[in-house]
Amino acid sequence: MTTFAESMKTVESYAEDFELDLAWFDKRGEWGNEVIPGRHGLTLEDIQVGAYGDVPDQSDNMTGRPRGAVPRPDAFRVGSYVVRTKSDIWLANAAMLYEEALQRQWSSATDIPWHTIKPLPDDIERAECQLATFLTEVEFVAADVPGRWIANTTPDYFEPRMFLISQIMDEARHLDVFRKRALANGGGLMQRPSVATTSGIVGGIDMSRDFTEMSARLHISGEGGVLTMFRMGEMMSYNQAEERIYRLAAQDESRHVAFGVMHLRYLSEMAPERMEEVHTYLDEGERGLLGGAAAAVGGVSVSQNPAARDTLSNDALAILLGGGKDHFDEGHKKLLAIRHRQVKEYVQRIRSAGFGERFENGRANAELMMIAQS
Amino acid sequence: MSEQTTRQTPAEKQDDASPVGTGSPSPEDIAESTPPPPLDWMDKTLQWGVRVKPGKKGLTVNSINVGIYGEVPEYWEEQTRMPRGAYPAGGVPPIGYSLRYKYEMWADNAADLYEEAVQRRWIPATDVPWESIPPQPDDVQAAMCQLCTELSQQANVEIESIGYWMPQMSYGYHEVKLYLATEMMDAARHCEVFRKRALINGGGLGLESVGGVNRMILESRGGWSETSLFLHLLRGTFTMTLYRYGEAFATNPADKFIFRHCLQDKARHLAYGMAHLRYAITHGPDKALVFQRLLAVAEAVLARDLNDPVLSESLAVIFGGGLEGAKAGMGTVRRLMGDFVGQYLRYAEQLGISRGDSLSGGLAKFL
Repeated sequence: MTTFAESMKTVESYAEDFELDLAWFDKRGEWGNEVIPGRHGLTLEDIQVGAYGDVPDQSDNMTGRPRGAVPRPDAFRVGSYVVRTKSDIWLANAAMLYEEALQRQWSSATDIPWHTIKPLPDDIERAECQLATFLTEVEFVAADVPGRWIANTTPDYFEPRMFLISQIMDEARHLDVFRKRALANGGGLMQRPSVATTSGIVGGIDMSRDFTEMSARLHISGEGGVLTMFRMGEMMSYNQAEERIYRLAAQDESRHVAFGVMHLRYLSEMAPERMEEVHTYLDEGERGLLGGAAAAVGGVSVSQNPAARDTLSNDALAILLGGGKDHFDEGHKKLLAIRHRQVKEYVQRIRSAGFGERFENGRANAELMMIAQS
Repeated sequence: MSEQTTRQTPAEKQDDASPVGTGSPSPEDIAESTPPPPLDWMDKTLQWGVRVKPGKKGLTVNSINVGIYGEVPEYWEEQTRMPRGAYPAGGVPPIGYSLRYKYEMWADNAADLYEEAVQRRWIPATDVPWESIPPQPDDVQAAMCQLCTELSQQANVEIESIGYWMPQMSYGYHEVKLYLATEMMDAARHCEVFRKRALINGGGLGLESVGGVNRMILESRGGWSETSLFLHLLRGTFTMTLYRYGEAFATNPADKFIFRHCLQDKARHLAYGMAHLRYAITHGPDKALVFQRLLAVAEAVLARDLNDPVLSESLAVIFGGGLEGAKAGMGTVRRLMGDFVGQYLRYAEQLGISRGDSLSGGLAKFL
């Protein structure tokens, strides 16, 4: 094998003979690391070797160069990155979550057994379509918003960025699959959410000016509630197609929620001075988790939770869970049980993220605590 | 007997094995013991009775574009995420989408390209036969790593650029947003796979990109169409040519696989870009002339980037099989550049913005 020194001698000679520059030849990042594919193939974790695995706490990369590449002194400063502090976006397992996302992609066109959908009673179909309308609207918030943050985050933190891109792809599929469900069985779209589910209001996911604030709202408060509901999808499915949709969507959402939990955990460990601020976001999120219009910021709900009170999707869920509008009360009881589980899972996630003190010191929402303890 | 009456309802399933149980009433139960709501939403739909059956490609986005749900307006008034065709509800505070005209983003093939992208997904970690890359001489390895550094950074620019624009596109044109999600995903995969390729074989990353075209794409703030002009027509055609030659000159199955799949993805990106630019030119005001003027500048920026020897010399080493073959390899590089410029001119011609007479001298020299 040719050595670097031998190469350089040849380079100099060839450069002169053939009027080539070849100065780039010895402008290399760290060289010669051993990278070996593991049992999951060649993952991002496998290439975190030597300097390429060193993630700076503060990034001075303003040119968009790949982490570990050799800088050019004359490179343009094109990266007006807002997120250049590691604790603002980092988590321990983003690379793993990204690889998992790639392995678990699915197609709404061909992986859902659409042929199993048969005509349903009118009230059930309308409830399905109402819920699908809600989900078609809210799911893509988790694509639009991460998109902005990706563009504003230094590529030195490419692992979380890559995961967020996979999330955008997931949410595109969710928008798409719920729209398809609404139009596949003799129904149609229904009324869009009458509350400001994902709209332009303070406390809304879109409006967050800080990544952690956005993540707490999106991944923990919003998607956490949706995940619990998707996990219970079998209870409100009327055919194999719906069961598959909820199961696959739950699989996706669980990765998104895991991202949020792990990011908060990293932040709580590395930037404890920000914990009080994060508690404030959680205060707002808890109100949204429980209620619709009644428990709102500024009188308008910012909840993404389809099971939140006083919402159309809440009614639709009760009909689906009960087996028809004549069994609304039965469905409503089951819906309360789902909300109960949402709260339990939320508490578990927040504890896991390192913010469990709020459940001991009286900070957590009182109604939420009543439900959690019931 | 109908299926509805014989089927076990979700409620029955719940009774069989409840993961949550209904138990004794919670405080919230008691608080919510209120009469059932009026359910007046049940009639609120703009079109009912849609029953789309899956075709041979499954249930695709295009296939559900029926009735009012397939009507794509020229201007999207709504400033929230209201799905196209949903029954509106007033009083929802706007989010502030800035791209609201159809011509600013639309492409007739976006929905089909979205479905195609989903079907043709691939996974760098497990689909690339990494073990097939043999140890390579230092000169070839260094050149390959330099090329991979450049391609990884180009993909990153695509990510950042789409990440900036996609959230500004109105929800009424969801087909385009769905498609762009796949293009971002493709770009992430390209960014990833070239980084992996640079590091797998005892190599590393090289010099960052010279960056003139990157800057032009990222600083394009006039509109998505203008960005697409740079990103798809100019840079996209160039990158696609690099992928094509990369596949042709690959010396092992892994490299062949990588370049072939990236090429497949890039062809989709170009297909969207071409369809969108054509739509923008035929439906948007003054676009043909604006594009002509922008391309005059853009070609010069690209030509300046190409004057930098790093990319061309690393390609020459790869094509020539080492430093010894770099001179011959440089002939292949010139052929590559000629192919690129020729293809670019054909695409521009197809769009009705012929560049033949006014092509930048820095690119014309390759013809």
